[in-house]
Amino acid sequence: MSLKQFFTRRKIYDDLAEEIRLHLEEKTEALMAEGMNREEAEHTARREFGNVTRIEERGRETWMWPLVESLWTDTRFAVRQLTKNFGFAVTAIITLALGIGATTAIFSLVEAVLLRPLPFPESNRLVWIDQRDHSLPGVASESLSYPDYFDWRAQNHTLSGIASYLGSGVTYQDAGGSQRIDAQTVSANFFDVLGAAPMLGRDFQWSDEKPGNRVVMLSDSFWQSEFGSAKDVVGKTIGLDGHNYTVAGVMPKGFRFPLENPAPAMWKSIAEDAEGKDAPASQRGFDVLGVIGRLKPGVTVQQAKADLSLIAGNLARQYPDNNKQYSSALVEPELEHMTGDTRPALRMLFAAVLLMLLLVCANVAGLLLARGQRRSAEFALRAAVGAGRAAIVRQMLVESVALSLCGGAAGVALAAGLLRAILKFMPVDIPRIEGATLDVGVLLFVLAVSLVSGILFGVLPAWRTSRQAPVNALREGSRSVAGGRGQHRIHNWLVIAQTAIGMVLLVSSGLLMRSFIRILNVDPGFESKHVLTSRVALSRDTYKHDQLVLFYRQLLERISALPGVQSASAGWPVPMGTNDATISFKIQGRPLAPGDEPSESLGVVLPGYFETLRVPLIAGRNLGPQDGLAGPATMVINQSFQKKYFPGVNPIGQRIQPGIGDDVFNHPMREVVGVIGDIKHKGLTADADPQMYLPYAQAVITNPYLVVRTNADPAAMQGAINAAIHSLDKNVPVYQVSTLDDYLSKAAAEPRFQAFLLSCFAAIALVLAAIGLYGLLSYMVAQRTLEIGLRMALGAQRADVLGMIIRRGLTLSLAGVGAGLAISMLAMRLIAGMLFHTRPTDPVTFASTAALLVFVSFIATTLPAFRAARLDPMKTLREQ
Amino acid sequence: MPMTNSSKTEQRDLFRGALEMMILRSLLREPMHGYALVQHIKQRSNELLQVEEGSLYPALQRMLKEGLVKAEWHISASNRRVRTYRITLSGKKHLEREISSFERMLAGITRVLSPTEA
Repeated sequence: MSLKQFFTRRKIYDDLAEEIRLHLEEKTEALMAEGMNREEAEHTARREFGNVTRIEERGRETWMWPLVESLWTDTRFAVRQLTKNFGFAVTAIITLALGIGATTAIFSLVEAVLLRPLPFPESNRLVWIDQRDHSLPGVASESLSYPDYFDWRAQNHTLSGIASYLGSGVTYQDAGGSQRIDAQTVSANFFDVLGAAPMLGRDFQWSDEKPGNRVVMLSDSFWQSEFGSAKDVVGKTIGLDGHNYTVAGVMPKGFRFPLENPAPAMWKSIAEDAEGKDAPASQRGFDVLGVIGRLKPGVTVQQAKADLSLIAGNLARQYPDNNKQYSSALVEPELEHMTGDTRPALRMLFAAVLLMLLLVCANVAGLLLARGQRRSAEFALRAAVGAGRAAIVRQMLVESVALSLCGGAAGVALAAGLLRAILKFMPVDIPRIEGATLDVGVLLFVLAVSLVSGILFGVLPAWRTSRQAPVNALREGSRSVAGGRGQHRIHNWLVIAQTAIGMVLLVSSGLLMRSFIRILNVDPGFESKHVLTSRVALSRDTYKHDQLVLFYRQLLERISALPGVQSASAGWPVPMGTNDATISFKIQGRPLAPGDEPSESLGVVLPGYFETLRVPLIAGRNLGPQDGLAGPATMVINQSFQKKYFPGVNPIGQRIQPGIGDDVFNHPMREVVGVIGDIKHKGLTADADPQMYLPYAQAVITNPYLVVRTNADPAAMQGAINAAIHSLDKNVPVYQVSTLDDYLSKAAAEPRFQAFLLSCFAAIALVLAAIGLYGLLSYMVAQRTLEIGLRMALGAQRADVLGMIIRRGLTLSLAGVGAGLAISMLAMRLIAGMLFHTRPTDPVTFASTAALLVFVSFIATTLPAFRAARLDPMKTLREQ
Repeated sequence: MPMTNSSKTEQRDLFRGALEMMILRSLLREPMHGYALVQHIKQRSNELLQVEEGSLYPALQRMLKEGLVKAEWHISASNRRVRTYRITLSGKKHLEREISSFERMLAGITRVLSPTEA
């Protein structure tokens, strides 16, 4: 049927109906002319015409797609066939459900994280913006400072808007006390750039960026939980960090940005950062802002990059002290930038799961082949009575598609469970992953995957079966000494393919596993067991410099005195946490131009910090109580710092001036008093970076993390610690309570998750490959019962028969293992980037996984082999 | 095609294509609309073959699709809106082939049925 006919069909049907109506009319009139009354005539006309509806339908059928109709017939037949052969159908459907279910679950993750557009209007125009740090190798990015951001915002020609955001925790005070919440400090055009508007109240205005205009936008959930969704919240004053903020409005439900967890509870205007003498908004060296832009319509990312780079170049010339190395811009689509880190891992998982699906298809194809052989008499009969080859292929394909659709339906159920488990147990914080659901898109994917795999695993058996000459098939279907040779050849290839795919999955999971174990064995540089961490949200406005130092001294004394506490201290940043800071510094005796100064990681610690974390002291002394307000300015460095800046020189006594200070210690020159061991701060797989540590009393720059080493379960101590804190200040909120073990475990979460999922796939693949081999051999034994019986009657020993079958099985599995190893040698390079201290061709992994697969294959061959060897030759021959 | 004989109690399926053949033969004489075709077939068969009138239409649709006939709406002599069918060139060829194969078949059947063989 042509397309044209499709569209004119309506007209054809109308013509037919009209024609029939006119026919009846004419007949009725003729009958009336013969003397009948109208009623009688109409009745007679209809009777003689026959069933109008049915006739119209038959007329229309002529124009329908013949394929659709016969597909329907085939489908009904297929369903009958499958219900008749229940055991076979269930096996195939479960296998398919495994493959399709796992593929679907992973696909829904990929869809939610990588593919789904950002939840903002015209989100493809949103871009991530940063400046490029040319002093570092590779493409390194650095955040913008407020003055840089303001210049970029004012001078660019390619963006309809650039907005800044800066995350911070704030202490929110209400009548009932205070709590620590997550907030963002954002530019006035932040919501506008994202394409969002408040549902209540007003948007931020440019004037809100000026000092004194502290306003705040609430998230819907914060508005609900704290204000019971009261409409009169707009214009009210709330207290944050001891300052008054006016509520400008409330954002609609579902709005959040940035999309990382935890979601911000509110957005503050940047007025607070513009206030004061050394306001952050006026410091060009304060590189902390997140920046998002919206491209003007029709502008490409490249054009925006060129435009902003021009501005960055000018600023680098204008302000060499701060901007020398930041002479160009980095611009990427926001979605791409946000998902960049997770892309390789999700791709690998998706590839693995597709491999597994392929294996499932090969497995079911094997089942179908064996079954097709058993049904060859049926097909021969059909062919003999005139069914064309195409008709037989079509019918078999419909059967396999029906199977895979059933498998797909079961797979959806499985995927729903799997997805829930993944989301629940996955500790990795992947942006947007919580949005993974089995939505319409995913269901369409299941449908497509089911159809494709149905055809994939159905086409080979269908082609095979249809190729058999009816005469041979009828003969073979009865009995023969040796089964159809060609049939076995294809079946052999299927088993080899399954084993090879299984091998690839096993090798990759083995490599990830090995790499994961290596990661677990990495020495982080500190002892994480039994250490509890938390922070105290002391306000810099209530506590002056010396009061803060006093507070922590008293607090640590009280905590140390608690029963069950070995030692207590505090420091910032906590290892494996999310905070870090790099600070430029000068070394005495090595003069450099201001823009050329090196910068390295910085931490602040209270006395006893390194002892509590059991970080070894390499040289000199640890920071102690003597490095206080009154003492000389001091610091310690770690080994990496020593190696990089003082190779072959005694670092003790060297003098360094880090570019940071507080109101008392304003950028002093400091003496290095000690060298400590390297602490891994940013993850287990990265080398520790050079670090400087300043005594907290001489650099009060942030709320340090309390670290408390306990004798037993650290979590049980938090109540006592809270009591100690509140005995000093009963209103101060305690936040970020965790154990150091948790931080460490999160650092290994991603490789753990990858290794775990891939091992699941590999385990399924191993079982499926074994089942495939077992199925082929069982089938072969069943088919060759007569041959085996004859051999044994002619004097073959049971051991010979046993050996024959096992040899056959091992030949196949070794061929598959060999092919799988060869493919792995090439393919594993693709996951090299995810491996830690493990070569992608690691011989130990290759050898051990190959041995595992051969061993399992051997088990799979022994069952049918023993069955064959136990045959009673006389009985066999009699029965045949 | 279900056809009914005059007794109406004993129905017998004619072989496939019989109705088409009769329609094509009738249209060869002159173009007709559906109702006229039914009347014509009834008359010519001396009422021996009584076509279920409706069954004509699916047959006509099939022949339309295969291009054996063409149809056209117009106003008849008796001032009626009718859809007149006309045989096409391929319809004529088809009819010739069908008739010759039918005649051969009929000859064969006649021979088998003739009493002299028994």
